[in-house]
Amino acid sequence: MSRADIIFLLPHLMLTLGAVLVMMAIAVRRNHFAVYVLTCLTLIVALYFLPKTASLPHNVGVLFVVDGLGVFNTMIIMLAALAVALMSYAYFDTREERTGEYYMLFILATFGACIMVISGHFVSFFLGLEILSVSLYGMIAYLRKRERSDEAGIKYLILAAFSSAFLLFGMALIYAATGDMTFEGLSGYFSAFDELPILVMTGVGLVVVGAGFKLSVVPFHMWTPDVYEGAPAPVAAFISTISKGATMVLLVRFFLAIDGFRFPVVLTIFTVISIASMVVGNILALRQQNVKRILAYSSIAHFGYLLVAFIAADELGVEAVNFYLVAYFATMLGAFGVVTVLSHPERDAELLDDYRGLLWSRPALATVFVVTLLSLAGIPLTAGFVAKFYLLASGISTNQWLLVILLVVNSIVGLFYYIRIVAVMFDSAEEREARPAGYVGNFATLLILVVLLVWFGVSPQGLIDVIRNLVGVG
Amino acid sequence: MIPIENYLVLSATLFSIGLMIVVIKRNAIAVLLGLELMLNAANINLVAFNLAHPERLDGQMFAVFVIIVAACEAAVGLAIILQAYRVFHTAVPDSISTLKES
Amino acid sequence: MTLIAFIGILMAGGLLAWIIARWNETLSRWIALTVVLIDLMWSVAILVSRRPDFSGTDWLIRFDYPWIGRFGIGISVAADGLSLVLLILTFFLGAVSVVVSWREIRDRVGFFHFNLLWVLAGIAGVFVVIDLFLFYFFWEVMLIPMYFLIGTWGHENRRYAAVKFFIFTQASGLMMLLSILGLYFIHGINTGTYTFDYFELLTATVGTTAGRWLMLGFLAAFIVKLPVVPFHSWLPDAHSQAPTAGSVILAGLLLKTGAYGILRFVLPLFPDASRELASIAMTLGVAGILYGALLAYGQTDFKRLVAYTSVSHMGFVMLGIFSFNELAFQGVVMQLVAHGLSTGALFVIAGALYERIHTRDLSLMGGFWTGTPFIGFITLVFVMASLGLPGLANFIAEFLILNGAWQASHALTVAGAMGLILAMAYSLRIMRKIFFGPASDMASRMSDLTLREKVVLVPMTLLVIFLGLFPQHVFNASEKTVKDILGVVMRSQADAIQNANENP
Repeated sequence: MSRADIIFLLPHLMLTLGAVLVMMAIAVRRNHFAVYVLTCLTLIVALYFLPKTASLPHNVGVLFVVDGLGVFNTMIIMLAALAVALMSYAYFDTREERTGEYYMLFILATFGACIMVISGHFVSFFLGLEILSVSLYGMIAYLRKRERSDEAGIKYLILAAFSSAFLLFGMALIYAATGDMTFEGLSGYFSAFDELPILVMTGVGLVVVGAGFKLSVVPFHMWTPDVYEGAPAPVAAFISTISKGATMVLLVRFFLAIDGFRFPVVLTIFTVISIASMVVGNILALRQQNVKRILAYSSIAHFGYLLVAFIAADELGVEAVNFYLVAYFATMLGAFGVVTVLSHPERDAELLDDYRGLLWSRPALATVFVVTLLSLAGIPLTAGFVAKFYLLASGISTNQWLLVILLVVNSIVGLFYYIRIVAVMFDSAEEREARPAGYVGNFATLLILVVLLVWFGVSPQGLIDVIRNLVGVG
Repeated sequence: MIPIENYLVLSATLFSIGLMIVVIKRNAIAVLLGLELMLNAANINLVAFNLAHPERLDGQMFAVFVIIVAACEAAVGLAIILQAYRVFHTAVPDSISTLKES
Repeated sequence: MTLIAFIGILMAGGLLAWIIARWNETLSRWIALTVVLIDLMWSVAILVSRRPDFSGTDWLIRFDYPWIGRFGIGISVAADGLSLVLLILTFFLGAVSVVVSWREIRDRVGFFHFNLLWVLAGIAGVFVVIDLFLFYFFWEVMLIPMYFLIGTWGHENRRYAAVKFFIFTQASGLMMLLSILGLYFIHGINTGTYTFDYFELLTATVGTTAGRWLMLGFLAAFIVKLPVVPFHSWLPDAHSQAPTAGSVILAGLLLKTGAYGILRFVLPLFPDASRELASIAMTLGVAGILYGALLAYGQTDFKRLVAYTSVSHMGFVMLGIFSFNELAFQGVVMQLVAHGLSTGALFVIAGALYERIHTRDLSLMGGFWTGTPFIGFITLVFVMASLGLPGLANFIAEFLILNGAWQASHALTVAGAMGLILAMAYSLRIMRKIFFGPASDMASRMSDLTLREKVVLVPMTLLVIFLGLFPQHVFNASEKTVKDILGVVMRSQADAIQNANENP
């Protein structure tokens, strides 16, 4: 490993260093605030060491490809992690649990996600995914005295391990057929075929199954609502954004490398998954009374939408995926942020009734929630709209009219449940018990997220330029 | 020398057995065992097909990493199952249902 | 820049009014009123100062600024005579809405005015943008605040009405977005220029089948908004549940955006497909006229009644637009203005009555004329306007539309004219139920118009009479636009005939 390699991996090294420091800090003295500050500092330092654009791309051995796509997504993952960290402090501070180890798992999970987005090899793919997953088991089940947290943990554990096994076996099959594990090598191998041999096909299929669980797309979505409901709100935010986003980026990289959409089978599989996710996610969300479950189903539907751009797999498509991820991250973090702020120490604010009259009792918070919901629904002036527009554009430019029309129809279905939450917040306020005092970190995060949502909605060109510079294929 | 296809058959069989265990067994510990079996089925492939490329060691290296990962998963998994057992007095995930559709 | 300022002032004013209301609610109302009045006077000044040039220059005001370069989206706004007329109508009814809410809206005043001004900003935007992406953008911007207006300050069944309104318009709007994108890519692939610019897209060559589908997407948004039977079912709920200001804006302005959209976008962009669809569209228009009028007659809720008359009147617009001749087009423009004024005024009156007797139920009213002749007189004027009495603006409009439609289809014109008879029936029923007949218990609670209400209603009355007597002012302003649009359709027709002759 050369000096240059180390420089390019510095952000990731910083994260591992941070995890170790947090662990040692806990050993010396348990102090929630100190650990929290240390976590935030780790993330900030890691962000600072992100490689400069001019020097990209750079291959670190065969394992990692530090290119624009990787750096951009490492950046947004770290920023999202920072937002989750800021929310987590208030959340865990009001709960009596031991708090230190959470941050260690948290940094490791972020590290895993960051590894995933720069991996160019099956080994780094799998290890990144596992570091993320195993840390998440702990984070989901972190509130040990809550039954629901434990149940969510055990469910996630079994399904995630199950999916990893599929993923690994898929990789092994592809390796068996090709004898190569680097994306670059596979790219050469795949380009030789017009039709995939059955062994490779099975392998790709199993990889899709494994990644599908992480993306929680239908039919691999069963765990999602339960885990979102049971996990602590900040952890749910983490799963719905960072974990899913990293997997998505990895899939983009993998399928771009093997040019997977040349093969009709692959195209069909993803089309079906996309349609099923949109439809099932939205339909099931309609009946929910639980805000966390609604967000869970909504995130399933959103990844169905996102697959439309993924399937397009051209320059516009990749741009669209990246833009959508940014918008989706900001939106979901905002939504879960509101849930976090409103949560009682005993129970997360997850029932629709918890939001009744919110617009009159806590107008600022409700405004944040309204903006995020509108962004999820894809209403103009929010980032969600431009993102959805991007998806439609990439879908139409590749003539996937079926997907595009279904996307629109589903957006309309989606409106029903987003508007229902907004409507509940409009109800006349009722007397409610006093809330725990607010934390500056929470409000600052939410404020920044809302500003970003509106900013990207009103003037997206800046972000588009950044994405095109870094990610642009051409 | 054993034909290379045989390794495939063996690993596929082991994988399927592991899959069956995960699906059929209700006890979480047994499920974890099944998962380990699935991971190791993949390992057989990785090691066996490395034979075709003796100049590289990527398959075997991966197998070593997978063993480590499997150990980690088992450790964390058992901890969570134990914790759940303390709360619910059962290690059968199906009989735990505080989370459901509302 | 002027046009951007129109919209910018409204948006900024909305924010300011929201913030100020924390300390002083009256000041917030004044800010809202001032902002709208500034826009109103400014736009009138432009109309007056530019009057001689209407036929000469292409666009009165034009402003372009790149926005999202990646997709060739620009902040492009421009106004011609038609836009300007509708802008003035927007600001006028906007001012009316602020004034009528003075007493009616007492809680969350700041947020109310924020929504009100942003709806106006959205509508004003729709009338002036010439970038299709931006058009969709403003199309949506006017929805959300409207949803809040209905959902928060509406009557007893407001939630249902608000959601229904939102879903209908949003769903149809997304269809339009699809079409816009389809057009964008078809043009982009053909020419290599990816842009949402209206003028550029006017030159797009679209295949016949693609053209049909794209047009249907656009049309979906507009006929839901207009509304055309059978897509009208959101309208009676939204109109009757909205607060007075909301009803005025819905009936007076939001419906007009649908008609404007068809005139500005559907016909010029897809002349061939439009011609193919003309007979169906005209039939739907006539169906709307008759259906709306019949249902209006059966209503007991005053606001619901007026809502159904809107369906009927908008049927005329549909009939006129798809007759493709200048007379009918001019009639349509006039109808937009006249209907905005007369229906707006009827909703103001409904609001005034509701404020006094707390009901909209016609069967509980009666015999109000003796106690409150002034309200009675004003209502009479607008009811007469609504039934198309000569001398008032609506008469000119409907007369021209029927006249123009006659050239396109005799049968449909006759059927449409039947609507006028039905209009007579329901209009007179309004007068009889509210002002004549035996005095109800409510009569004692009635008081005549306050000064504030007079300030609103008297100018509206004068305008309706003025436009009825001197309609030429509106025609002058819109003549150029109307001729241009008609020209595109006629050219397409000529081409089609030529093609048919060449390839028999």
